[in-house]
Amino acid sequence: MRLLLSGHGASRGNALGRARVRHPHALEVVEHRIDADAVERELAQLHAAVDATREEMQAMRQKLRGALAKEVGEFLDLHALLLDDPELLRGLDDLIRTGRYGADYALRLQRDRLAAVFEAMDDAYLKSRMDDLDHVIGRIHAHLQARAGELAGVAGDILVTDNVAPSELAQLQAQGVVAIVTSAGSPLSHSAILARSLHLPLVVGVAGALQKINDGDALIVDGGNGRVVVEPDAGDLRGHRERLRELAREQRELGRLRGKPTRTRDGTDIVLLANAESRDDVANAHALGAAGLGLYRTEFLFLQRNELPDEEEQFRNYRDIVLGMSGRAVTIRTLDLGADKADRTGLVLQGEDNPALGLRGVRLSLSRHGVFDTQLRAILRASGYGPVRILVPMVSGRGELLAVRRRIRQVRANLRKQGHAVADDIALGAMIEVPAAAIAAHALADVVDFLSIGTNDLVQYLLAADRNNESLGELYSPLHPGVLRLLRHVIRIGEEHKVPVAVCGEIAGDARFAPMLLALGLTEFSLHPDLLLEVRRAIRDCDRAALQARADKLLQARDRAGIERWLAANT
Amino acid sequence: MLERELTISNRLGLHARATAKLVQVLAPFRCNATLAAKGREVNAKSIMGVMLLAAGQGTPVFVRIDGEDETAAMEAVVSLFERRFDEDS
Repeated sequence: MRLLLSGHGASRGNALGRARVRHPHALEVVEHRIDADAVERELAQLHAAVDATREEMQAMRQKLRGALAKEVGEFLDLHALLLDDPELLRGLDDLIRTGRYGADYALRLQRDRLAAVFEAMDDAYLKSRMDDLDHVIGRIHAHLQARAGELAGVAGDILVTDNVAPSELAQLQAQGVVAIVTSAGSPLSHSAILARSLHLPLVVGVAGALQKINDGDALIVDGGNGRVVVEPDAGDLRGHRERLRELAREQRELGRLRGKPTRTRDGTDIVLLANAESRDDVANAHALGAAGLGLYRTEFLFLQRNELPDEEEQFRNYRDIVLGMSGRAVTIRTLDLGADKADRTGLVLQGEDNPALGLRGVRLSLSRHGVFDTQLRAILRASGYGPVRILVPMVSGRGELLAVRRRIRQVRANLRKQGHAVADDIALGAMIEVPAAAIAAHALADVVDFLSIGTNDLVQYLLAADRNNESLGELYSPLHPGVLRLLRHVIRIGEEHKVPVAVCGEIAGDARFAPMLLALGLTEFSLHPDLLLEVRRAIRDCDRAALQARADKLLQARDRAGIERWLAANT
Repeated sequence: MLERELTISNRLGLHARATAKLVQVLAPFRCNATLAAKGREVNAKSIMGVMLLAAGQGTPVFVRIDGEDETAAMEAVVSLFERRFDEDS
């Protein structure tokens, strides 16, 4: 019978498939005992399953890179510790050896035993760690049953479950799962972020999904609006096909924008640059027609390793990127690490009381000349292979930029003495993230060649709101009158001093905000390559002069609702 | 055998992240280590054990370490507590 369910769309995309219902802690194992001579066999099977789970986690860990590695990696590390926990393993061995239970049943007993303790805790956070434990036990169980194949043959299926862990998403997709529906979860979760980057449709928070959907039901999932149709009728199927056609048309239209200029309706050319952190990103940026790289992050050379990358390794990495962009400018941001994004090399001081306000970005670079000079040498050597610009993070005043310029001059002179090819004119830019630097941007104008506003950090510092702190709700938002006024101010100063200003935070990659940024006078956007065509399309639909004429109205908005009304009226 | 009384001083207490740090710090040592608080004693090398202690900020805990490398292990644990588990709070 047809049934319409709704939840929150957490990752866009449409899918039609057979429901595969995975019940939570689906350890519906019947009690069975084993003979004494079977004990060693059961133990061996259990340990093989644990080993297989560990390998699976390690493989997953290696696949992650970039920002995801930090976010999802923490969960994987926790899961890895749980997997190898002596309490878990010894308890299991005892149940098999002394209790003479089969491995499956021992796992179930152990799970229930631990669950009882977790349940008894009056701390909601700790209680919810049971989900992590359930995930780990579920994976061991799946490996124990590998011959039965718990999730084998899911190709083309839509997984219906209580919750999905970030660490299993990529694998589910590889096994052929075309969409996921969960009864719990939030669109802000790590799983949701990961699903979006995998382009795997995900609807979360569908109340009663596990009770109302049966294994084998046909499902239509719309990850855009969060709707799930169980046993769809002819009209639903027609609607789904139309939606797919619409999406395909949209994709084709976007595809046609690949080589097109980013020109507003009234003829202003807007510069679209790409943010990148890997060679894949660079290839994408190049193919989609980015005017250059507006932000190449170098932190990933430093994270997840025990020793600092040497000059040669950095040079080869930067040179690859410069060559990959074949003549378009590459903006390399110098190391942007702080105690919250700590490496394991000992470069970053641990235990700062307030790492967001601590020794980070250019402050760290200037306090560690050896490390900074090595990076500058590598960047300057790469500049022999194509246009390179240097972007300095976390600048608060001109003194820092003057110090960086001095170091660049010295490094360049040394490199030339040693016979390296180094470009003469390497543009130097400052990230505008510190509110004081934004307010006094005029003080930087004569010591930089360009400015790049990092709105993610700027908004966080300006609103004194940590964007990862869920208890602050929507307090962290770029749609605050104070943010818009400050953006306008920095862009104005850039115009007055003929210093190009780009925005490289997430708002630049959100097509909904393009009219707003154009109204504020922005002409350079730096964004993730995946978003480039969408933003290009939005900009091509805009009349820049008309938007600028209404900029005053935008700047007079008194709250988020007012800004949203302006956006709605000007889109 | 070494014993020390320490106080949980990070804001979140022995939550998953801090617990993971403690277990990771102890992992390379061969000695046995236990943590006792609120009348219960758990294996300090077990993330589950430590999490189940549910020790919040301000809770005094007794660390007991026994084995050939106990001195170095105790130093590592004390230092972690003093660094407030490298949390920013």
